[in-house]
Amino acid sequence: MKNKGIIGSIIALAVVLIGVFAYQMGSRQTGAATDNKEELKTVGILQFISHPSLDQIKDGVIKGLKDEGYEDGKNIKIEFLNGQGDQSKLNSMSQQLLEKNSDVLIGVATPAAKALANATSDTPIIMSAISDPIGAGLVTDLKNPGGNITGVNNLTPVDQQLDMAMEMFPEAKTVGMIYSSSEENSKSQIDRAEKRATKDGLTVKKYAISSSNDIAQITQQACQETDYLYIPQDNTIASAFQTMINESDKAKKPVFVSVDNMVKEGGIATVGQNQFELGVESGKMAADVLSGKSKPASTPVNVIDYGDMIINEDKAKELGITIPEKIKEKAEVVKGE
Amino acid sequence: MIISAIGQGFLWGILGLGIFMTYRILNFPDMTTEGSFPLGGAVCVTAITNGVSPIFATLLGIVAGMCAGFITGMLYTKGKIPVILAGILVMSGLNSVMLFIMQTPNLSLLKQPKIQDFFTNLNLPDHFDIVLLGLIAIIIIVGLLLFFFFTDFGQAYIATGDNENMARSIGINTDRMKVIGLTLSNGVIALSGALIAQNDGYADIGKGVGVIVIGLASIIIGEVLYGEVTFIERLVAIVLGSIIYQLLILVIIKAGLDTTYLKIFSSIILALCLMIPRLKEALNLKTGLEKGE
Repeated sequence: MKNKGIIGSIIALAVVLIGVFAYQMGSRQTGAATDNKEELKTVGILQFISHPSLDQIKDGVIKGLKDEGYEDGKNIKIEFLNGQGDQSKLNSMSQQLLEKNSDVLIGVATPAAKALANATSDTPIIMSAISDPIGAGLVTDLKNPGGNITGVNNLTPVDQQLDMAMEMFPEAKTVGMIYSSSEENSKSQIDRAEKRATKDGLTVKKYAISSSNDIAQITQQACQETDYLYIPQDNTIASAFQTMINESDKAKKPVFVSVDNMVKEGGIATVGQNQFELGVESGKMAADVLSGKSKPASTPVNVIDYGDMIINEDKAKELGITIPEKIKEKAEVVKGE
Repeated sequence: MIISAIGQGFLWGILGLGIFMTYRILNFPDMTTEGSFPLGGAVCVTAITNGVSPIFATLLGIVAGMCAGFITGMLYTKGKIPVILAGILVMSGLNSVMLFIMQTPNLSLLKQPKIQDFFTNLNLPDHFDIVLLGLIAIIIIVGLLLFFFFTDFGQAYIATGDNENMARSIGINTDRMKVIGLTLSNGVIALSGALIAQNDGYADIGKGVGVIVIGLASIIIGEVLYGEVTFIERLVAIVLGSIIYQLLILVIIKAGLDTTYLKIFSSIILALCLMIPRLKEALNLKTGLEKGE
């Protein structure tokens, strides 16, 4: 090899590698005693992607910490990073949060929590709004997590949702469930919903979409074959929800959704969980870990599987559906946008 | 952090080497990359979760990537589908293949054996397991590539890329060369996908998005920084390019720029690197004119 640039670069690389190696090996022996300094505690938050409901969770986490007396800039430092849906960045960001000596890490959405879990097995991790922590391999036991991970597990209130749908459309025989095949959580929610609906004597037709481009066609198909549509918590569908509503409106079929803000956007109703509140709960758990009150290993995962009914009256009128008074009394009524 | 970035650079450098085999030698961009990369990871992680040993699982991932490349090659040479289109077709088809293999869009390796465990158990400082793994993989791949390209067969392969008509006139079956090139290249890409999936701890069907940019970035940074070099140096330059790209990304994160807009910064880095030869040329041209006067 004659190129000086390449040889130089390789030498530089080797020097850095060997240097850091020697330094870290050396500091291993002398270390330990030096990190007793009184510093601001650091909370690292890693969010998977910018998305209205995830942003709400993040805001909720910060609120939850504040409620427990931990405020950014006063007695803690909050390091917030957003992976913008890029899997490889989530890893380097997890590393960075660890480098900043985070005392507790908070992962917003499953991929972020997974990246954090993969980066450390010591620093406590609080999962924020993860729908299937066991399936994702984050914890093995909800009651007794054992490792460095605990947090909030939000189970979409599927049973409550389908009960409400049954009450609203007692004559319905078939329900169409549309979900995206590339989202783990979405699929597991549909599995639960299918089980429940079949138990209640409904025929379930499932339609998987592989990208938001399929939504129009699949919705048309589903509207022809079913009495009403049921949509899980699904990022792909959420971002193309207007397309779906356009089609279902043409066919005069109601769409039962799983997220509260999708009711405003044209869904008929849901039993929704307030994302902000989920965040607040995770923030409180993080605060307990910070103050030393609890340890992730012995803190049960907080399973939240209930919610509030929300209905869109304008949409009901538009589709000619009368909402039973019984539901109207209990539910929060919103107007369409 | 720096060590982690260097380790990542090695693993992504393998991807660069794989893309190099088609993009620079055969002179066409192979879009199959964005499918074979996550495919390698998907097959490998599925195999590991089913109890296959990590090394063998990684080999399975490579084989899967080679199959993908082979299909693109057949569509291109036998089906006469333009190569970019053939690659895109295979890439989007692989999305379903991965779903079929994994049965879920995202499969985790938490608490499962991984190929780097051997190095992790040596109790090295943080991230040196990945550096070692990457380094060994790079040495093996570069060695194999060098061996391959200096056989008669490899020379015929290079000739195909240099001048297809010439190659055909001296009796080289250029179609076969292209198929083999695509097959091998995607095998290398899948290896990179399998190693990165194990390093990340999961496989995801969305992992392929944008990887071709990372691969091209390594090749181009290597070329721009080190200029005209011999073949072996070129391969090394790609790996160095990959490390430099990872370090640049690290600098961006460290500099405290808003990571929400990370993608535009990586695009800017790449665009700048691509423009450096032009900028150099423009400057040279100017001085040339001055002398002329």
